[in-house]
Amino acid sequence: MLATPASRRPRPEIGTQRMPNEMAPIDCRTAVQKLWDFLDEELTAERMEVMHKHLRECSHCLPHTEFAERFLAALHATRNDRPCPSVVRQKVIESLRTAGMTVS
Amino acid sequence: MEESLKKDAVRDAEFARDALPYMDDVYRFALSLSRNATDADDLVQDTFLRAFRSWHTFQPGSDARRWLFTICRNAFLRTREKLRHEIDVDDGDAEALAAVRMHVEMVDDGTDQLLARLDLAPALRTALDELHEPFRSAVVLVDVEDQSYEAASEILGVPIGTIRSRLFRGRRQLQEKLRIHARDAGFASATPRDRDTADA
Repeated sequence: MLATPASRRPRPEIGTQRMPNEMAPIDCRTAVQKLWDFLDEELTAERMEVMHKHLRECSHCLPHTEFAERFLAALHATRNDRPCPSVVRQKVIESLRTAGMTVS
Repeated sequence: MEESLKKDAVRDAEFARDALPYMDDVYRFALSLSRNATDADDLVQDTFLRAFRSWHTFQPGSDARRWLFTICRNAFLRTREKLRHEIDVDDGDAEALAAVRMHVEMVDDGTDQLLARLDLAPALRTALDELHEPFRSAVVLVDVEDQSYEAASEILGVPIGTIRSRLFRGRRQLQEKLRIHARDAGFASATPRDRDTADA
């Protein structure tokens, strides 16, 4: 099932100029060219809508979309792998204290 | 004198509230830039020290994480000559198409099952470490640290179109590395022809 692009982050839309045919249906080539832009929520609202409609209805594009979603989710999950080590955290606090910061 | 102390106390409280919570994020970004734990340690310290000294320039209410990433990137560049062997690509659409072509090949050889069957974290961590600049920074900022194309563009000092093409190239390279990982893990050892024969 095609997920609505997750709100992974607040995203602005690329460009502010609306193309005259932005709401026109797209073919599969265009859809896969813009797939990552769509998943990153970097398209205009009109293009997002057109892309969503195509990807929801196209059996050819859906597997690519789902694969890309799984890949990006796994990539995003790596952020939990490497927290700042406590020894580094302590060094930062110490250097800030030396620079005059009062750290509680 | 008392006024000055009050201002310092406000500054310290603001910095502790708005900047220090992002130490994990800055550490990850520093590690991705330096690719070396010792250098990353120094870079994180340098970043927060510079940020603290420049706190008066920070616009209240703006994105402190983006600001810290920018300082971190600039501090990194100061520590070494800017890597000018960066090979830029400028066609994001072509990269996106190439990624889909690769997915078709992965479906064909069975490696697309990788994401569902393997714990990807170790493989992705290694693949990210191996990813070359300038692609790694774009991927880390956008895909790991949730920065928009616009924010990544500001942090790295390159146009949005360049971020997009670097990001897409980086993602494609990561997928290629995962594909190799899957093959090595034996999940796709059979070629389509082998599978067809086996099915017959």
